Amino acid sequence: MVKYIFQRIIYMVITLFIIATATFFLMKLLPGSPFNDLGGKMTEAQEQLLMEKYGLDEPVPVQYAKYMAGMVQGDLGVSFQYDNRSVTDIILSRLGPSAHLGAQALIIGSLLGIILGMTAAIRHNTWWDYTSNVLAVIGISIPSFVFAGLLQYYLAVQWRLFPVSFWEGPIYTVLPTIALMIFPMAICARFMRSEMLEVLGSDYIELARAKGVSNNTIMFKHALRNALIPVITVLGPMTVSLMTGTLVIEQIFAVPGIGEQFVRSINTNDYPVIMGTTMLFSVMFIVVILIVDLLYGLIDPRIRITGGKD
Amino acid sequence: MRHNKWSLLVLAMILGLVLVACSSGSDSTEEEEKILNIAERSDIPTMDPIMTEDNVSTQWIDTVYEGLYRQAPGGEIVSGIAKMEETEVSEDGLTYTFHLREDAEWENGDPVTAQDFVYGWQRATNPDNGSFYGNYLMSGKIKNSEAIFAGEMDPEELGVSAPDDNTFVVELETPVAYFDSYVTNANFLPVHQEFLEEQGDDFSLSPDSILSNGPFKMTEWKSEEGWTVEKNESYWDAENVALDGISVKVIKDSDTQLSNYEVGDLDRVSLSGSQVSDNQTSPDYHSLTESSVFWLKMNQESVENSEYMENLNFRKALAKAFDNEAYVDVVYGNDSEPVDYFVPSNFVEHPETGEDFQTGNEELSYDVEAAQEYWEAAKEELGFDEVTLSFLSQDDDVAKNISEFMKTELEKNLEGLSIEANNVPWSRQLELMREKEYDLAVSGWGPDYKDAISFVDLWVTDGENNDVGYSNEEYDEIVKAVKGELANDPVARFEAMQEAEKIALEDAVISPIMQRKTSVLYKGNVKGLDQLNPYGNNYSYKYVDIE
Repeated sequence: MVKYIFQRIIYMVITLFIIATATFFLMKLLPGSPFNDLGGKMTEAQEQLLMEKYGLDEPVPVQYAKYMAGMVQGDLGVSFQYDNRSVTDIILSRLGPSAHLGAQALIIGSLLGIILGMTAAIRHNTWWDYTSNVLAVIGISIPSFVFAGLLQYYLAVQWRLFPVSFWEGPIYTVLPTIALMIFPMAICARFMRSEMLEVLGSDYIELARAKGVSNNTIMFKHALRNALIPVITVLGPMTVSLMTGTLVIEQIFAVPGIGEQFVRSINTNDYPVIMGTTMLFSVMFIVVILIVDLLYGLIDPRIRITGGKD
Repeated sequence: MRHNKWSLLVLAMILGLVLVACSSGSDSTEEEEKILNIAERSDIPTMDPIMTEDNVSTQWIDTVYEGLYRQAPGGEIVSGIAKMEETEVSEDGLTYTFHLREDAEWENGDPVTAQDFVYGWQRATNPDNGSFYGNYLMSGKIKNSEAIFAGEMDPEELGVSAPDDNTFVVELETPVAYFDSYVTNANFLPVHQEFLEEQGDDFSLSPDSILSNGPFKMTEWKSEEGWTVEKNESYWDAENVALDGISVKVIKDSDTQLSNYEVGDLDRVSLSGSQVSDNQTSPDYHSLTESSVFWLKMNQESVENSEYMENLNFRKALAKAFDNEAYVDVVYGNDSEPVDYFVPSNFVEHPETGEDFQTGNEELSYDVEAAQEYWEAAKEELGFDEVTLSFLSQDDDVAKNISEFMKTELEKNLEGLSIEANNVPWSRQLELMREKEYDLAVSGWGPDYKDAISFVDLWVTDGENNDVGYSNEEYDEIVKAVKGELANDPVARFEAMQEAEKIALEDAVISPIMQRKTSVLYKGNVKGLDQLNPYGNNYSYKYVDIE
């Protein structure tokens, strides 16, 4: 296990190095410069001065070497758009709300989805099942920003039950969490239902029933455990996308998250912020994949994470 | 029994939620204070006066700092730290002596001195600090600024001095007729040197690292969430500042802004898109005139099509072939004014008569018949039947509407013309325009000071912003005179600029489209938000009140 994790960490470092290198050179292909977004008022001489200040007048390989050296030491540089603010500070201040909101939506959404899917499977072909299916289809097919708009309009503007937007306390997280959790809830419900149906129809469940094992034990110890594996597979990438912010929901509820920052940094050619956020997303993605792989082994010991003779 | 437990739990959760929702109401003590609640679409990119390049930074720097003079509502220039009525100007217009008020203080109680202005201005021209606007505004105007910017002189050699604590002297290289409005720019603010040096790289990054000398002081600033400013009791004119504070939230989504206004969380909100027509009957609705004018650029030095674009009949045909009233309706759907000029109206007035700069000019107004006559003349002169021009535009939805509209109008009215839309990101559009790799583009300009030269100067031969390749000796001579020998003759100077605009329109340098207006809603009890400043910061919050 330790050896496996160690190996995976080495692969992760190599992957991150490749991502950083590819992003750096691709970023340089972006049209325009970070300093010409001033309504055309900047002269070439003035732009040159800024290029020198930020080291952008040096050959690209030199810039690359300097950037990588800085990154290894934990220095992601300063933003071009936010005067003198370090990229690390920008990322840390905006990651918090995104991660908070994402985690909240993911946990509540996936738990509700699992419950909904299980209920649908256990009460197959009853109105529980039909309702669950309809909810899942609605959740998957209608974009979250539609729910966000409806929630905001009815619960905040019309009925005044919740604040319209902002990020000032637990109550402010309710509407964006609901809007964000509907999709993971629907996905989990769909997967859970179909997997549970398959598991419940399998021979070993029949055997357990024949042996007189209690219904609760069958459901939670045998069926749920096996049905969770595909759910965990889809939850992996969903975790990253939810925790790193969803641009539209953040905008609608004025959440100071990182999703919007990433898009803006690309639009304004803010190279250090593009690199910083890309690396953050990459690290999170790779770590989540590792966690998912480890969870497989924990949930179903038949899945050997190390493979081979171990 | 088990069911009962679950029911109780669900009931408790619902009750809890309702209680929390109810407890989020407003604090009753806040109602007694005059706090203006507003929203901005972005965080403040910088609070360092010399680094500001955008509207949000400019607005809030102006709110917490004060320079020599400041803008009152409507753009009137009034005394700031300097007493306007005591300012002495040398006969040649090259030396200004400002007398600073003795009671002006920084937030920490230190007096605001002439040396603070000297240091602030030198800092703006120091190339190591990378101030774009400092160089843009000062080069060629403040003595030695150009050489300092080029690294050929030390910032200490800038033409500014402080003979004593309350006297600030500025030496110019050329008379600047609009000097009063010029010095209200954020780059001309004073800086408390000792405080700045204590803060080092953290200067202006948080409320603690900002030292105010203006009507308000910053008390809170949460990145991407918002900020608050409170009335600065140590400000020399604090008794005339009506608001106790301003609370600003960052809300990027326009519908969310409007929803917050509807539930009473905001006192003012800008409208966009269909929100404008939806709210036009509201008693809170107001349409505020800006000084930004938009036009169709026709590049005479086009890499691909200069042979056509150089032809006056060809340009006049293009200029008159689209309906700018329909443009405003289709693209913006607001109250923006279709115009036939490029120096905005309601911006500058005749120094003696007070008459607006714009007295009427229909040289390039929409006229399909005339456009077709010019088009036929151009065809005959240039010997073509069909021609394809590129239309450069941004890649957002509004810009795509613009290129679609212009393509439809021009192709419909000018036989044989084809338009190819080239939609690119904004920074790329600027790059292509600077390199003159385009035929047609829509662009605009907002002034940096209250003077028509901010617009007229755009089209001088080889000017920094002349990306349409226009050149006319007579025009250049007039602009040169306006900046030189006429600088101390306000009437002749004003009329010369009117003449210059007429020449440029006759030459179809650009084709004017519209002067922009902003549609807003604000509460009836808020006073002082009824007009926008013509340049720089949009509002002077010093003069805003809640009744």
